[in-house]
Amino acid sequence: METSIENLLQDYRKRTEETSLMHAMQLNIGLLTVLQKQRANSKLRSLAAIKIIAVILGIIWVLFLAVLVYGAGFKYPYFSISASAIIIFTVIAIVVYIKHFILISQINYSESITATQKKLSELKLSTINVARVLFLQMPFYTTWFWSSTWIHYDELNFWLITFPITLAFTVLAIWLYKNISPANSHKKWFRILFNSPEWTLVIKANEFIKVIDDFENEDA
Amino acid sequence: METQNQKDLFLKLIQENRGIIFRICNSYCQTKNDREDLAQEIIYQLWKSSHSFNNTNKFSTWMYRIALNVAISSYRKTKRSAPVIYLTEDDTAFNKSEETGHDKEEQFELLQKFINELPELDRALMLLHLDAKPAAEIAEILGITETNISTKISRIKEKLKQKFSAIK
Repeated sequence: METSIENLLQDYRKRTEETSLMHAMQLNIGLLTVLQKQRANSKLRSLAAIKIIAVILGIIWVLFLAVLVYGAGFKYPYFSISASAIIIFTVIAIVVYIKHFILISQINYSESITATQKKLSELKLSTINVARVLFLQMPFYTTWFWSSTWIHYDELNFWLITFPITLAFTVLAIWLYKNISPANSHKKWFRILFNSPEWTLVIKANEFIKVIDDFENEDA
Repeated sequence: METQNQKDLFLKLIQENRGIIFRICNSYCQTKNDREDLAQEIIYQLWKSSHSFNNTNKFSTWMYRIALNVAISSYRKTKRSAPVIYLTEDDTAFNKSEETGHDKEEQFELLQKFINELPELDRALMLLHLDAKPAAEIAEILGITETNISTKISRIKEKLKQKFSAIK
């Protein structure tokens, strides 16, 4: 028996519309108020909550270090300089992170699909800058315990072990700062470094930008 | 959406066009729970974006933009390996008049599967095409040119035809 796709689709349309959840939905202001509360609650339960916790922990860490720096003053210059540098990089990262988070939540969904999705993906991708900045603080975690007395007392060990370690961390931090970019997201070291669900979404945002570009291209 | 009347009018417009939400939820979600969740998110975003609706635009065009953007974003966050596509409009892309041995249900499932394999943007395009939207409106919603729309629809139809041919 000959059957056309059109007939199949029409039959299915009738079937699906009969069971449509939307048919049962009558919109009113009361329902929307409930919906707004539900959405707010579900967002708090989702990944957004983890991000908020990360920002709060970051702020607590900065405040803790600030108190220590204030207490140490000029008595422990290596500690004060190292902790201050860590505070600066962490604050920059927190500000950038919050800024991106707000921009993503304020995205205009009423623009065209390609424009909105590209903006959204580019914003997600730009959170990589947070990681780049955070890596720059790495060497300062190897210098906070230095002291002039200790360096003079054990000069050989300082120049043979401690200083090369700091130097290695400095080179690595600068290298990572320069090389962490969407262009390198396909590389193995990058995928190992950013192997978590949140970063996977960021990396996929880069791939989606390419998909959108292809979609916009008439020859694609 | 300042006054109560404007709010009511806005809700009425959403209610009248609720089929758009229904079709999009069915296209981008696998389970009933996910569909309901996405439907709520779309309605929430429509309400939140109500200030951006310009009376010079067609309401369904504006609604499609928001609903598809929310659906694609949500789909990318919780991407599943094989979401089910439920088509709701007839398509004249191909006639399968030859005897195939498949019954109606099997043919439908195959069509679902094939469209299901399309990337999310192509799927959005097919959704609009199956909703019999003119090329100009599809172009406005997706943000690509009308020529590009025609080319892409032809290519997608060709792919679907080939897939059906391959299983004969």
